[in-house]
Amino acid sequence: MTELALQSENLRKVYQSKGTPPIEALAGVSLEVRRGERVALLGRNGAGKTTFLKIASTLLRPTSGRIQVFGYDVDRTPEKARPYIAVVPQEGKPFFHLTPREQVYTYLRARGLGRETAKSRTEEALEKMGLLECADRLCVTLSGGQRQRAMVATVIATEAPLLFLDEPTIGMDPFARRSVWDSLRTLTRRGSTILLTTHYLDEAEALSHRLYIVERGRVLVAGTAEDLKRSVGGTVKVLLPGGAPLAETFRSFGSSVTDGDTLTIIVNPERLGELMDLAVRSKLLATVGPVTLEEAFLRVVGRSIDEE
Amino acid sequence: MRNSEPAVNTRVFRGLVAFLWTEVLVQAHEELAMAASMMVQSVLLVFVWILAPALLGVAFVGAIVYSMFTMGQRVLNEAAYVRIDHKANDLYLAGPMSPEAYFLGMAFGILVVYVAPVVVLGVVATAVIHFTLAQGVLLFALSATVWVFSASVGYIFSTFFRDNRAIWAYSSLFFNIFGVLPPVFYPFRLWPAPLAPVALLMPPSAAAALVQASLGITRLSSGETLLAVGGLVVETVLLFLFAIYWARRTVREK
Repeated sequence: MTELALQSENLRKVYQSKGTPPIEALAGVSLEVRRGERVALLGRNGAGKTTFLKIASTLLRPTSGRIQVFGYDVDRTPEKARPYIAVVPQEGKPFFHLTPREQVYTYLRARGLGRETAKSRTEEALEKMGLLECADRLCVTLSGGQRQRAMVATVIATEAPLLFLDEPTIGMDPFARRSVWDSLRTLTRRGSTILLTTHYLDEAEALSHRLYIVERGRVLVAGTAEDLKRSVGGTVKVLLPGGAPLAETFRSFGSSVTDGDTLTIIVNPERLGELMDLAVRSKLLATVGPVTLEEAFLRVVGRSIDEE
Repeated sequence: MRNSEPAVNTRVFRGLVAFLWTEVLVQAHEELAMAASMMVQSVLLVFVWILAPALLGVAFVGAIVYSMFTMGQRVLNEAAYVRIDHKANDLYLAGPMSPEAYFLGMAFGILVVYVAPVVVLGVVATAVIHFTLAQGVLLFALSATVWVFSASVGYIFSTFFRDNRAIWAYSSLFFNIFGVLPPVFYPFRLWPAPLAPVALLMPPSAAAALVQASLGITRLSSGETLLAVGGLVVETVLLFLFAIYWARRTVREK
């Protein structure tokens, strides 16, 4: 069997509807996810992430291009790909009139797992997601975050070879998010592969081996979080009070952005000393820190928007 | 590797029993809905009892047929609701479970829960109508056929909606028009004669007319009997097959 869990080549999706111009949601996406990898698909709202996930999970037909799951053509033979996948849909909810325990167990049984396996995996998933205390309460009585945890528990309990998670931690508290991260790391250690979308950039950074940034249906950047940070001209940021008027003075050090009264400059560590000297001479109190993935994302996507 | 192969093979009805049980658990939490499913029938039975007690037998037959028919409305509401609000299609169908199992599991799950009040209705009916075994079997078979028809209609219709608000209005309208207006609760002969073929081609009224005829309440010519039986069987089989096809076809959006 192929070493690639997922492979797409020049995948396009154009939504056609009467009376409105066609919308090109995917404009030729090529990407690969290797077995055992955790890969994040990042992008603004409407960038094409969910469309890609829906096509990859056999729920939407592409307009053109090719996409394979473990070597099976998702468009031509979706029934062959389906046994290998499980999906946390965007805005999915558990059945309100099931308890989390019933939700996970019955779902595993519907996927064909035996009683004992389903039972033990249900308990394991509920424990990992911190749902044991409310495992026998109807989902309708749970909070939004608990319902989302029940959805994630349902899907991670499958231990499917390839998991698609569309914003899996939305609405969860920081502790619950970290429980999900731990569970996903465990799953990939056991051999599963994960493709997720998220708007939490810290999550993408903490969780993914690699990431793809999608903008207007195209892959803008592919690589590790560190690659992405380096691509914006440096891995260190310097914050200077004073805002826009200082931009010209510090232009030569790297790209800058003004946020209120603060000027943020992305700089290479090698030039940090030089920049700090100038800041001291200018009597400016500079704050230095690492560039976050979110800042790199904003710059990469912002640059793309400016160019368009 | 623990996950190198999928846990199941590729059978057509894979997951049916488990999903049926899921739906039973979901539906069984709504005891009030079970009672409410008998509302229209009960009101009509009371009206008939007061206004024309001689027609109570006809009304009971109609109530049983109508109850089976309106299960399609529940399939419609449930299938659309869990698809739109819960994204259950994405969860269940992007996996090894077959679309046929999803449709049939849902339909049978609703049947298992909502058939209980119909059985009670049937038991009460035996106090009013004196069924022979053959007549009882006929009523059972025709009711089951009407259920297959309505569950298929319900599932197919559910795929056309994008908003739950629209469903409440349209599903109620459709199932009440076809379940109450034609001669389901009243004798077939009271239906305008020129429109008799129309009633005989509508599954609920065809089934009711056939039971009424077997009980001697209504006389059907052999042509009318043939039309009712043929129409009911052909429409049900075709619609059921189409529902299976449609369940497969609508797993993926275009």
